[in-house]
Amino acid sequence: MSDFFMLEYGLGILQVILIISLSPLIVGIMRKTKAKSQKRIGSGIFQPYYDIIKLLRKDEIVSDQSSWIFRATPWINFVTTTSAAFFIPTFLVYSPFGVVGDILLVVGLFALGRFFTMLAGLDVASSFGGLGSSREMMISVLVEPALFMTIFVIALFYGGTNISTIVSSANDTSILIVPGILFALIAFFIIMMAETGKLPFDNPSTHLELTMIHESMILEYSGKSLALMEWSHAIKQMILFTLFVDIFFPWSFVEQISLVGISLGILVFIAKVSALASFTTFIETRVAKWRLFRVSDLIAMAISSSMIGVIFFFL
Amino acid sequence: MFDLPTQIDLLHVSAVILLIATFGIVVRRGFSDLLHAYRYQTIILAGVVALIAFVTGIWELYIVSALTLGIKAIIIPKVLFYVTKKLDSPIKLEMNPYVSLRISVIVSALLVTMSYFTALQLPISSDDTISVFLPVSFSLFFIGLFIIISRRKALSQIVGLLTIENGLFLFAVVVTHGFSLIIEIGLMADILVGVIISSILLFRMSQTFDSIDIKNLESLRDD
Amino acid sequence: MSENLFIIYVIFIFFSIGATLGLFTRGQKYNTYFTYIPSAFASFLTIVLSLTVFSSENIHLTFFNIQHLFDFEIFIDGVAAFFLLIIGLISFAISIYSLSYSKKFDDKKNNSALGMLFNVFIISMILVVISNNVFFFLIFWELMSLTSFFLVIYEHENKDNLKSGMTYLVMTHLGTGFIFASFILMYTQTGNFSFDSFRDISIIPQYVKDIAFVLAFVGFGTKAGMVPLHTWLPKAHPSAPSNVSALMSAVMLKIAIYGMVRYLFDFNAVDSSPDYVWLGMGIIVVGSISALVGILYALVENDIKRALAFSSIENVGIIFIGLGLSVVFAAFHLQSLSVLAFIASMFHTLNHSIFKGLLFMTAGSIHYSTHTKNIEDLGGLIKKMPWTAVMFLVGSIAIIGLPPLNGFISEWLTLQSLLAVFQIPSNILQVSLAFAILVFALTIGLSGATFVRLFGITFLSKSRSTKAANAVEVPKFMLIGKAILASSCILLGILPFLGMNLIVSAFNLPYMPSSPFETISIANTVDSNFASLMMPGVLVILTSVFVGIFVFVRIIGCKTKTVKYGTWDCGFGNLSEKTQYTATSLAEPLRRIFGVFYKPHNEINADFYTKENLYLKKSIHVISTTRDIFDEKLYGKTISGSLFVLNKIRKIQSGKVNVYILYIMITLIALLLFVGFGAHE
Repeated sequence: MSDFFMLEYGLGILQVILIISLSPLIVGIMRKTKAKSQKRIGSGIFQPYYDIIKLLRKDEIVSDQSSWIFRATPWINFVTTTSAAFFIPTFLVYSPFGVVGDILLVVGLFALGRFFTMLAGLDVASSFGGLGSSREMMISVLVEPALFMTIFVIALFYGGTNISTIVSSANDTSILIVPGILFALIAFFIIMMAETGKLPFDNPSTHLELTMIHESMILEYSGKSLALMEWSHAIKQMILFTLFVDIFFPWSFVEQISLVGISLGILVFIAKVSALASFTTFIETRVAKWRLFRVSDLIAMAISSSMIGVIFFFL
Repeated sequence: MFDLPTQIDLLHVSAVILLIATFGIVVRRGFSDLLHAYRYQTIILAGVVALIAFVTGIWELYIVSALTLGIKAIIIPKVLFYVTKKLDSPIKLEMNPYVSLRISVIVSALLVTMSYFTALQLPISSDDTISVFLPVSFSLFFIGLFIIISRRKALSQIVGLLTIENGLFLFAVVVTHGFSLIIEIGLMADILVGVIISSILLFRMSQTFDSIDIKNLESLRDD
Repeated sequence: MSENLFIIYVIFIFFSIGATLGLFTRGQKYNTYFTYIPSAFASFLTIVLSLTVFSSENIHLTFFNIQHLFDFEIFIDGVAAFFLLIIGLISFAISIYSLSYSKKFDDKKNNSALGMLFNVFIISMILVVISNNVFFFLIFWELMSLTSFFLVIYEHENKDNLKSGMTYLVMTHLGTGFIFASFILMYTQTGNFSFDSFRDISIIPQYVKDIAFVLAFVGFGTKAGMVPLHTWLPKAHPSAPSNVSALMSAVMLKIAIYGMVRYLFDFNAVDSSPDYVWLGMGIIVVGSISALVGILYALVENDIKRALAFSSIENVGIIFIGLGLSVVFAAFHLQSLSVLAFIASMFHTLNHSIFKGLLFMTAGSIHYSTHTKNIEDLGGLIKKMPWTAVMFLVGSIAIIGLPPLNGFISEWLTLQSLLAVFQIPSNILQVSLAFAILVFALTIGLSGATFVRLFGITFLSKSRSTKAANAVEVPKFMLIGKAILASSCILLGILPFLGMNLIVSAFNLPYMPSSPFETISIANTVDSNFASLMMPGVLVILTSVFVGIFVFVRIIGCKTKTVKYGTWDCGFGNLSEKTQYTATSLAEPLRRIFGVFYKPHNEINADFYTKENLYLKKSIHVISTTRDIFDEKLYGKTISGSLFVLNKIRKIQSGKVNVYILYIMITLIALLLFVGFGAHE
């Protein structure tokens, strides 16, 4: 049986490596889709990989105002997001590390990364960083209740906050039977857009102080640190996409372990996540960035959606 | 058999005379009039005590009565007369009391009625002297209290205080039939000293405020 | 048994030594050592005492009788021992911290009084926790309140401190009055002052216990700082010297929690009647409101210690949420969930003491070095005071509830208890508790924002004033004191089984954790795993990932240099500290969003060069305020209303002698008539 455990853990680590390595690809797909829908050619879908490798080989410039927090933040960010990836099932219906942590731990790890990123923004003694931290504070404060309400709805319907439990029970039910989950879907989609910094919350490709939130916090980074920050942002996005796909569109998970099954599972997974990424980009091109204080209305809509989901459960 | 009813009659008569004398205090305005009325009341009180002594046969009460006569009827009024003469306030009359004199009389009568009523309720009815004089002492007490309440000038209030003391004294004599002599003497000394001090204060008050209207004390209120 | 008694005596003796020595060696060079080393030793012994009680049986002693009414009884069971552990641990760290901190007050005349009051304060708290008799409980409670009052007004040169002290005194006596009323109610039912008689549940009717509990809840809640009786907390805690603030916030609030736990779970059998559902819901409501209000005010506060005091209100609210949930679950006979919520609440109590003590000590260090408490004057302290910065960082991460520190565990447990409400068989309660989840999530988010702001503005970026620029690191005793608590944070975070074991054995709960690597598992109705958490495993994952990425980066990236250069300044050059974000501006978006609560007020006065050109400004003066609606609306209206009524009553005092004697006469006549009529019957 220990062989089986070794295999399980190996597959678990494979899931993690899959998430980490595919995340820049998803970023590339999104950029390509956006370019195509704006009638541009855009960069290739493998461009983010080249960017990361290039940045890893460049020198770094560090502000003389900053402290060890500035230098430590990229590492902390990467470690926390990758550790969160351990608990997310991708092609298996569960994660072998599920007993170590649940979705609340994932949220906590993300919060830890965000905490240090906000501090790093303040560390460099420039207005850009403070600006980014201030707006990020506002959005995260508003997103937290929405996120927890959505988790509550999902935990109610699917019997737990352990992600493996959620995914396995989601695998067994159909979305048409539980209409309350639709509301959780809407809420989770909005939260996803907020957490990953997509329009209308934040423009990931701008560097104007009027519009940037996430970018301004990492404005000072260069070289290795920038590579790690960009990569961890991509991983976080990937994790959220994976969660969305696992919980709301969970069909075709492998039940038993076989080479064919696993390869098929991986391919289906990549296809699902890519489809979601394209869909998200499509939504992004339809809206402009909203005024900052209008964003809170959108998040309020997410909260009320999940509240309705809760009430649906009790009906 | 003929003696006892007469004793009771005597007691009743003396009680009535005492009450009338007290009313006499209530209706006076002028300072010297007040003091004279007080003196008469005290003399009658001394007589009442002597009568009680006669009826009950306790000889200490004679001494008490003599003391009352001496200190309360002679010395104290003298002290107060002295002070009154020294006062250089322009008006030595009780002008405009809070309760006008005619109504004071009615109120005093009411107080007497109430005292009789209350005394009847109390379960102390063993002795003749007690049953006759207990309500009288209550009345004296309350009338003295009423005088303090309804007058403006400090001198009137001192007289009221003395009336209260008379009432209490009568109460003590009647209920305990003359407790120890020493205590009586002590009480007298107490009263004497109290009066002396009050008169000194009265004098000072008139010097400071140019009147002995106690309205001036109101300015000491915490406002 | 006898050695336990011995320990109690030794503790008492050492605190007394500390108190008196401090008083007598006034002005000498080693004054602080004489005062605080005995107290540190005695605190350590308190920890030992509580651990021995955990392992052996309870201590129940009676010392002396005063006519069988007022026995000085001691009862140290698991509950008391748990709180003794909290007292001992925090006092130990703070005593060591005070060795250097009280040197700040060396130039004051009454320096020795601080040490004496400090020792008396701690010993009075210990005595409150171990008392088993109403009379002595109230005596020591009053002693605790009085010594803390004197400590609050210790720096009485500042008139604001006096005002806060008076507010504190009034409010704490209000609370004590309610507690007193509650105890008297129980006494009239049982006829005995000892707590043992209160524990006999059968002889007291239920409605009496309910009323007594509500009275006690108000009384203890005032002391714990629940809204709306909380206004003294943000005034009193910052006014005291920092080591005392730490003690008050970390420990004294918990003594109030101790009172509530005794009342809830010791004197009443909570699962015996459905009344408790409403009591529990009341506690949850109060807790949620306190949590939200506390953190909302902490967010916009610029004074570090006031912000920390508001954060204490928030955390007490979270503890109340856990307690209330435990009561509600117990009323529905959901035994295991009740245990879970209770463990969450008590764990948070322990955690909050540790990290709040740590944070207040750090605030004290900042004040020690820079002589200011206003974070708008600070900045860049991380370079000047590196170790203090690390301590504050640890404390901040713990209080927000981020993994892998201890705050995460207790908040995880509380969240799980909240998520488990779907097992309650009443729909209305489930939906209302869903709102509690909303509020709780909001407070977690807001506390994150608050501490990012506090840590970031204070320690990071450039110094905003010369005070901060000239700061130096604090003496090593202060650092040691903080390090003790910081390491406890980390330890309890990584090995939560320590905390769980403590709580479970203290309160005799039916839950059996055993090994250090035990997972905390919750099973749901389908008997699969609802949630589980294994912190050591998380740590393993974190470290292995770190190693992995480090190696990866080494392999892929070649040797790179790191160059230090100025911050990107858009080419303007000469970045000054004025171009940074200030504390107010950092919180400004949130202030606007929650404007309905803060009612912010911006006043902008601009000075122009000429009237014709309004674009060239000579200077701009901005005043930005938020209003404290509790102080204004609730207390202001109550005070003015009472003053109005009292002014009317004041007419009785007319100043006329006649009137006073008239009062006497009326009373006398009334009495006589009353007696007369009474005797006639």
